[in-house]
Amino acid sequence: MQAASSGIGYGLKYQARCISDVKADTDHTSFLAGTLSLKEENEVHLIRLSSSGTELFCEGLFSHPNEIWDLVSCPFDQRIFSTVHSNGESYGASIWQIPELYGELNSPQLERITSLDTDAGKIKCVLWWPSGRHDKLISINDENLYLWNLDVSKKTAQVQSQDSAGMLQKLSGGAWDPHDVSSVAATCESYLQFWDVRTMKKTSTIECSHVRSVDYHPKKKHILVTAEHESGIHIWDLRNPKVPIQELPGHTHWTWTVKCNPEYDGLILSAGTDSTVNLWLASTNLDELTTERQEYSPTRWVDSLLHTYSDFEDSIYGLTWSSREPWIFASLSYDGRVVVESVKPFISRK
Amino acid sequence: METDEAPLDDKARRMRDLLSSFYTPIPSISSNSPNDFSRHASPDDINSPTFEPDQYMNVLAHKSNLEALLQKHVEMVAEIKNLDTDLQMLVYENYNKFICATDTIKRMKSNILGMEANMEQLLEKILSVQSRSDNVNTSLSENREHIEKLHRTCNLLRKIQFIYDLPDRLSKCIKHEAYADAVKFYTGAMPIFKAYGDSSFQDCKRASEEAIATIVKNLQEKLFLDSESMQVRAEAAVLLKQLNFPVDNLKARLLEKLKVSLMDIKLDPEVIQNVSSSAHKEAVHEFVEAIRAFKTIFPDSAKQMVKLAQDLVTKHFLIINEYVKTRIHATDLLGVLRIVWSDVLIMDEVLQDASISSYSLEAAEVAIKLYIGSVYSHLMQDISDSLLKVLKRDEAGEYPLEVALEACINVVFRGGRNFLHDIHKILDDNLEIVDKLRDLIIDSVQEGFQEFFRQLEVRFQLLSGRNSSPGTQIQGLTEGGQRDKVLPSLVLVLAQLSVFIAQTTIPKITEELAAPFYSDSVRYYEYRPTFAPEEISQKFKVAGESFLHLYVNMKTQRVSLILHKRFATPNWNKHKEPREVHMFVDLFLQELKIIGSEARQILPQDIRKHKADSNGSTSSSKSNSFREDNRSNNVQKGRNQQLLETHLAKLFKQKVEIFRKVEYTQESVIITIVKLCLKSLQEFVRLQTFNRSGFQQIHLDIQFLRTPLKEIAEDEAAMDFLLDEVVVAAVERCLDPIPLESPILDRLIQAKLAKE
Repeated sequence: MQAASSGIGYGLKYQARCISDVKADTDHTSFLAGTLSLKEENEVHLIRLSSSGTELFCEGLFSHPNEIWDLVSCPFDQRIFSTVHSNGESYGASIWQIPELYGELNSPQLERITSLDTDAGKIKCVLWWPSGRHDKLISINDENLYLWNLDVSKKTAQVQSQDSAGMLQKLSGGAWDPHDVSSVAATCESYLQFWDVRTMKKTSTIECSHVRSVDYHPKKKHILVTAEHESGIHIWDLRNPKVPIQELPGHTHWTWTVKCNPEYDGLILSAGTDSTVNLWLASTNLDELTTERQEYSPTRWVDSLLHTYSDFEDSIYGLTWSSREPWIFASLSYDGRVVVESVKPFISRK
Repeated sequence: METDEAPLDDKARRMRDLLSSFYTPIPSISSNSPNDFSRHASPDDINSPTFEPDQYMNVLAHKSNLEALLQKHVEMVAEIKNLDTDLQMLVYENYNKFICATDTIKRMKSNILGMEANMEQLLEKILSVQSRSDNVNTSLSENREHIEKLHRTCNLLRKIQFIYDLPDRLSKCIKHEAYADAVKFYTGAMPIFKAYGDSSFQDCKRASEEAIATIVKNLQEKLFLDSESMQVRAEAAVLLKQLNFPVDNLKARLLEKLKVSLMDIKLDPEVIQNVSSSAHKEAVHEFVEAIRAFKTIFPDSAKQMVKLAQDLVTKHFLIINEYVKTRIHATDLLGVLRIVWSDVLIMDEVLQDASISSYSLEAAEVAIKLYIGSVYSHLMQDISDSLLKVLKRDEAGEYPLEVALEACINVVFRGGRNFLHDIHKILDDNLEIVDKLRDLIIDSVQEGFQEFFRQLEVRFQLLSGRNSSPGTQIQGLTEGGQRDKVLPSLVLVLAQLSVFIAQTTIPKITEELAAPFYSDSVRYYEYRPTFAPEEISQKFKVAGESFLHLYVNMKTQRVSLILHKRFATPNWNKHKEPREVHMFVDLFLQELKIIGSEARQILPQDIRKHKADSNGSTSSSKSNSFREDNRSNNVQKGRNQQLLETHLAKLFKQKVEIFRKVEYTQESVIITIVKLCLKSLQEFVRLQTFNRSGFQQIHLDIQFLRTPLKEIAEDEAAMDFLLDEVVVAAVERCLDPIPLESPILDRLIQAKLAKE
């Protein structure tokens, strides 16, 4: 499509699945990307967008002991991040710190603050407290949900409370509600489940199958976006969890991940295994939607699709908005290619 | 001397003139003569009033000689003498007359003197006559008064007689049915009865009242007797009114009766169609007659009659409205309308000012609208039914999709056309009521089609379970496991049906709509926007595409489920050595077979071969197979290099379009689904980590899949490429990717084949 060449590329050495926006870095637009290589030594790349916005360069390159399945940058310290990693047989999660003088070191080593080890289960992801400095962390493995108390200075992490997902339910991911920090959403095979972290009890569930990714609307309370394997993207209002308030068709193959723009209402990115990133403009206004629903027609879906970025060779698993420059997003395809794009031409249209 | 003679002569003439003017009624001579004089205006003329003797004398003396003067003198003297005698005679005559008059007066005086006595005598006589006559008068007055009294008594007696006779008379009247007389008598006697009824004429009153009661009864009977002639009944009503009988009550009763008879007028559309409508006609005729009668009987009851007639029309149309809700033919509707219209016309005749026809026109408008609506809803129902048959297929054995599709197409196409024919039939029939509603019918048919297709599209969406609004019945159907089993085929049928509607039905119907509807007159073009075929057909095109996508989606979802189970269950890290091809392959192939058969039943074959497709991927498949050979041989090579190779290979090969647009052909749909499934397989593999045996198992399964997939999908290159991709993914996710030795691989595959 027309904007195919607008992206700025950056190549990782190996295959990769995860990329994270470095939220705490307020001076630069930076991303952390981790590789997924079973046999080679994995790396974490600290990628920075040049101030001119035309170039991506590697700010830091750190070796990581295992292949990385999930990576999240700490929201309050740009040098801290968490990974979920696997050595091929077992999974683990760790909190890492980038060494202070990494620029001067030859082959800087990551400093492991602590590992979030639990007895059983294949850990899926780590969630940081949504904003600001806080010592709480959540890790989700396929059976349980853990609330951790992290002490960075003492380099310890303690399980504060935990709850199991229930029989026959395998958790796969989650999101922390930025509006109500006591609420966490976790995805499992056929439900979207919600926990109150204060009591560590399940509060409610939404029935939807094969949820792959979930993201809260950063501005509007109660609005939640989910990506599902085959049925596309659903936008939910938690006050009425029976029916999604809007559906977007998603991708030709699986819709892998979905991200709401931190600044612009209704701007949603999704990435899928059909090697494309789609930019949607969805209405999250309930009143608007109810009137629209009456004139229900499939053509409305086409309208909400703003753009398709198809300049990729492989499935895209990593996707993040930049919180510093909210019109910029980075995507990571399986073949290790990071592409940073700007959605500015579409924002003006709003 | 001349001077003496001349005035004398003049005087005499004047005298004579005056006298003659006095005595002769015509004053012509006297008046003429002065005129003549004045005309001549000569002072010489002796006869003129302006005669001047001196001048005359002068002139005469100057002009004439002596002789002539003398002669003139003689003449004058003679004339004067004559005049004198004339004068004398006149004086005598006057004197005579005077004497005569005096005599007459004298006589009159003597006569009057005698008369006074006579007069007094006469006065005396008259006075005596007067006194005599007074005498006579006074002597007779007594008698006269007596006679008058007697006369009054006689009258009274006669009246009393009449009242006493009244009962008899009334009964006689009753006997002769001369009710009018009876009523006249009774009303005549009424004041007396009122005054004395309680005292002297009690019996009489009672008797006559009884008689009157009978009369009233008889009259009422008469009034209610339908057999009586209208005149008689009207008279009866008038008489009853005269008798101060509460007519309103009667009227109400009669109305009641009419209403009851209204009930009897039944419009049974079914019966009317089959049997001749004479019974109904009769009933209506009766009703109309009754109305006419009622109108003459109670002229002030027009309003009620109109109401009754309107009730009848309303009733009829209510029945029609019910009737059109059932499946009826246009001719049936026409028949019923015709009957009702004829009824209305009859009624209109009777109740001219009631505008029953316009009232019924309104009702007919509603009925026809309902009819059109019901036809559409039936059409919709038919389509739904035949679509739902697809759902029931699994329960009741085989119900081939082809048949279902055929049936649906038939319903949509034929139904629409038949309906249009029906409408034409209705329009062509020159029934007045229909003619008046012509524009309306055309409009609502067009609107109806628009709405119908819109609804149909919504219904399709509902059937496909796509519309996720809660509380729809179709959704209830889709729940409970049915969705997985049945819906995909239905969705496929819907997709094809949508295409058919968009491509064939709508143009045809537009054509049919256009031809006779618009050709009538140009102005119908104004109404065109009510049916917008482009919009509808676009809608269905979009819907068809979305259904096809949905179908593909559903199918891939089902396969995904199989794959998901396959990959979620075992621990791939501790996989045992492969002993056979895993059974998920069977499930996968079976699923594909179902898809194949469904697609073959419903979708058309692709006419052109997939030239572009195969061209696109031959090179890639080559590079892939090359790559794979490389891999299997040089697994020990550094990962870096391998990855580089993959990247390079990807750079050089032409990208196989896994995600190309789905077309309405068997091949396209099947290939798309297979492609998507293999892509899913690849993604599932990427999520796992394999040990050597795990990898070998995957490799084995994939190898086995090659042949049947190629058969199913008819695109070898693409299949090879995708299967290779899966293997590549497995290699990447394996710490120790050493494939099985090819003899073992072959043996296992053969064993699996033999098992089948």
